[in-house]
Amino acid sequence: MQRDWPDILGGFALAACGAAAAGWAWLHYDLGSIRQMGAGAFPVALGLLLTVLGLIVALPALRRSGTLPRAEPWAACAVLASVLTFGLGLRVLGLVAATALAVLIASLPAPQRGWGWRLALAACVTGLTVLVFRLGLQMSLPLWPRLG
Amino acid sequence: MSTWDGLLTGLSFALQPGVLIYCVLGVMLGTFVGVLPGIGAMAAISLLLPITYYISAEAALIMLAGVYYGAQYGGAVASILLRLPGTPQSAVTALDGYPMARSGRAGVALFAAMASSFVGSMLGILVLVLLAGWLSRAATAFGAADYAAMMVLGLVAASTIGSERPAKGFAMIALGMLLGCIGTDVNSGTMRFTFGRTELLDGVNLVALAMGLFGVAEVIGNVRDPDRQGVAERIGLRQMAPRREDLRRMPLPMLRGASLGSFFGALPGTGSTLSSFLSYALERRVARQPERFGHGAIEGVSGPEAANNSAAITAFVPTLTLGIPGDPIMALMLGALVIHGVQPGPMMLEARPEMFWGLVASFGIGNLLLLVLNLPLIGIWVSMLRIPFRLLYPAILIFVCLGVYSVRGLTFDIVAVAGIGLAGYLLALARFSPALLLLGFVLGPLIETNLRRALLISRGDPMVFLERPISAGFVLAIAALLLLSAWQALRRRR
Repeated sequence: MQRDWPDILGGFALAACGAAAAGWAWLHYDLGSIRQMGAGAFPVALGLLLTVLGLIVALPALRRSGTLPRAEPWAACAVLASVLTFGLGLRVLGLVAATALAVLIASLPAPQRGWGWRLALAACVTGLTVLVFRLGLQMSLPLWPRLG
Repeated sequence: MSTWDGLLTGLSFALQPGVLIYCVLGVMLGTFVGVLPGIGAMAAISLLLPITYYISAEAALIMLAGVYYGAQYGGAVASILLRLPGTPQSAVTALDGYPMARSGRAGVALFAAMASSFVGSMLGILVLVLLAGWLSRAATAFGAADYAAMMVLGLVAASTIGSERPAKGFAMIALGMLLGCIGTDVNSGTMRFTFGRTELLDGVNLVALAMGLFGVAEVIGNVRDPDRQGVAERIGLRQMAPRREDLRRMPLPMLRGASLGSFFGALPGTGSTLSSFLSYALERRVARQPERFGHGAIEGVSGPEAANNSAAITAFVPTLTLGIPGDPIMALMLGALVIHGVQPGPMMLEARPEMFWGLVASFGIGNLLLLVLNLPLIGIWVSMLRIPFRLLYPAILIFVCLGVYSVRGLTFDIVAVAGIGLAGYLLALARFSPALLLLGFVLGPLIETNLRRALLISRGDPMVFLERPISAGFVLAIAALLLLSAWQALRRRR
């Protein structure tokens, strides 16, 4: 039997988040009274609610069969790596290199072979980005890598 | 200000070139993303949020609204030609629109969709004007307890109505509200869940959250989609000319759909997807030959398209008059206004007439533009369907990154977008709704503030929610919705 993993894992993960948030808020923030609720009251209540809801989703799913969704781990990794490269590289590599690199990484999982179109796309997007954001909107961004 | 004066004020405001251009930009961009399967109105509005920092609040609202209803027009194109709904609201349109396209009547189906969208919008505008005036007068009697109860009603309605698994919807709303707690607590100044990061003092950035959930996560989900096979047909004005029989079948479904849509659109939590489904069901029930449905009945295109467009317009009623967004898209609109320091509420019609009436006028102008431009431009939109997603998404990602960065100039926000995108992708995989998370995120802080205020005023007596007639009504509706969904869950289990 194929278990309903999305509901089981998702439900338990949410319940854990809720319990952690409620616990943290309980320990660190003032709960106050009903008349004058403190900073902790609302997060604690929400955390407990999320814990209960997560369990309501997860527990019945343990005894139920379900279908697995079609995950795309390769696509997810490439897209996230592309965003992180851009974010962490922007100040160090400069706008041009960060954009070109991010586009190349992002295009890796695309369902089309060959490097020609990828390089052409990187060049086009980089050109457009510089044109729109640097020259058009005048955002203060370093264009080239910082040397030394 | 009388309705007539208001409309004149609005028209003269919305027709200024500096404002009109954002209306045109919005509806064009909306149609574009509506046509492209894989990017919805949510993603497009998220992408545009940073741009709104550079323009006035009024122009920002007009542009974002244009994206929203423009996407409804565009969504129908992909639905009819490829059976791939560009937006969830137009999914029903595919049921009869696609069979019409298969039998060589794609042009007529597109004409029916656009004409019905236009009629729906016009009726929506009428209802918006009538309801907004009435509601903003009534809303001056609302107290903190009533606001809190009404917002909770909106959240409960959004996660129960039309949902198969309400518990999953509630969980998303609770998670969103928890995320909304992050940052400095306004009442006490306590820093909640900031873990020493100064970047989190103002809370999670709405732009980063929306871009992560709807930009990055949707891109990941669509990267591996194979290129769409070219649409064979060439569609021009001549193919769009309806036969006399088509014209006879369209008006009544349009009116029924538009009435349904403008009613359900104004209710918090229901919105345009539900009204298009309801309209389709209604048309099928009243039809003389229900067996034609599913095989290219023009009523099945007309009704739902009118319904989702009128609902898209009346959805602005609670957002603008009460400051309470009824659905996630409205939550984004409200977020955009709050960025500009505008808090919509019952006073806004009087205090900022340009905002409300300018938007109303822009609805009229925008929809007219959509009708007039889209009929001749349909060939261009159809050819847009052939753009492979692989050429678009890397550019979208760069736009997301720079858009988020432009808000505060912090690379922290770009890294946060990656994290939120991953979470959003995993949640969507497990069939949790990220849209409800966003709704909870926007409404959470408003609910907390009003709840605390209500309990402070009542000296800690929770009975205040039942003693005030307005709030008691909302509480009753919440209880009814919860009971109904519990009953449905029990019945399904048997």
